[in-house]
Amino acid sequence: MLKSVVRAVGAAVRLSSVATSTARTLPLSCPTLCSPSLATTRPFTRSLWMLNNNGASSGYRPKLFSSKALNPSISCGCGSLHTEGDKAFGAFLSDEIKEELKIQKNNNLPKMSGGWELALNGTEAKLSRNVAGEKITVTFNVNNSIPPNFEEEAEQGQQKSEEEEVQPEIVSSPNFVVDVTKQGAKHSLVFDCHFPEDEVSHGEGEEESDIFAIREVSFQPEGDTDWKENSYTLNTDALDWALYDHLMDFLADRGVDNTFADELMALSTAVEHKEYIKFLENLHGFVKCN
Amino acid sequence: MGVILRNLQKQVPLRRARLRKDVETLRHILGIHKFDLGIVCVDNHRIQQINNIYRKKNVPTDVLSFPFYEDLRPGKMPLPLHRDEQNLGDIFLGVEYVMKQCQEESLDLHETLTAVTAHGICHLLGYRHETEEEWTEMLQRENYILSEYNRLTGRSLEPLMKRCSQDR
Repeated sequence: MLKSVVRAVGAAVRLSSVATSTARTLPLSCPTLCSPSLATTRPFTRSLWMLNNNGASSGYRPKLFSSKALNPSISCGCGSLHTEGDKAFGAFLSDEIKEELKIQKNNNLPKMSGGWELALNGTEAKLSRNVAGEKITVTFNVNNSIPPNFEEEAEQGQQKSEEEEVQPEIVSSPNFVVDVTKQGAKHSLVFDCHFPEDEVSHGEGEEESDIFAIREVSFQPEGDTDWKENSYTLNTDALDWALYDHLMDFLADRGVDNTFADELMALSTAVEHKEYIKFLENLHGFVKCN
Repeated sequence: MGVILRNLQKQVPLRRARLRKDVETLRHILGIHKFDLGIVCVDNHRIQQINNIYRKKNVPTDVLSFPFYEDLRPGKMPLPLHRDEQNLGDIFLGVEYVMKQCQEESLDLHETLTAVTAHGICHLLGYRHETEEEWTEMLQRENYILSEYNRLTGRSLEPLMKRCSQDR
């Protein structure tokens, strides 16, 4: 079943096939950083470094700070701190970026079927389409869209041998908001939707959540990005199920159905991965300072 | 509680409200509205998986029933002692499989799903069709349910006898 597959891979860690390229962890597992030769090199704080800087206003230099071992080993003249740790960090990031680019299936984002137009603004994505005088927009943010239970899976994975361990992929399943606006109307009907967490039944491992679900429904002023708290909000937790089904059918008629939700996950996963790589590149540039 | 409806597949565009309404009508006809019932719509892959696990038949099918009361005598209503026993069980509808049948036989999908669900509910109520006698008994019950359904809705559903002879 699609959902179970999606959930199975959603509970994953971004693990590359190369052992040194790890998940989104701090580079604590980087062999260079853990090597005994560097164990004595304390990381500096910025204030300590400023005391040791040639440009420090006080001419006084305590002997401790003139120790060669504590001087940065790299210098680029930018005036910022560079340490052996930064060098190792940069090398780690460089490898990580290479591995992430390797597992990036396609640089182009997957297309949504159904004539949706995509607009991206950083981690925010907006899909829109017009259907017979109605405008439908779907917005989501890829930040915090990876299910948080990957750590447990990673631990389980570590118990398996490398041969039998299948490296699952991360899947981004963001909350998304659907706005339906009728021509000339002052208010949009807004659906706050999400991908439900697994309802893990411990017997057969079956789960029975819908692929996506509506959490709240409300009328909001058309074109207003802020959620007006004084608009009545229909919460679906304690809702007549027949009404809920009509709301789901209403969305399906406007192209927001299980197929859409599945494609949205694929799109969000690709956007998230792209943003992650971009972040790593920025971080690499920041650490390297050039 | 009532009918818990889950749509876990994307192959078939389903009308959830229509399906729920039809299931509610069947519950009304059978006098089982105080019992909870799960309807789970799945694709061929998933129903084949379940069919293989529970019946050792590695093929997709139209419906699989998982009764809460496993030893009910056909026609006897369960007698729940507690609120959490007011549950008949779950019906997995192989909607992709049913849609293919509908396309081949030019049948309406949602009408056919109603007939298939009626068959599934009969299983939850203890009906079987492993012997000729059981088969006749179950068919009679299905005939009654669908004739009542037709009377209430103006439709003209029939039991899916051909398919029922192959699947439990």
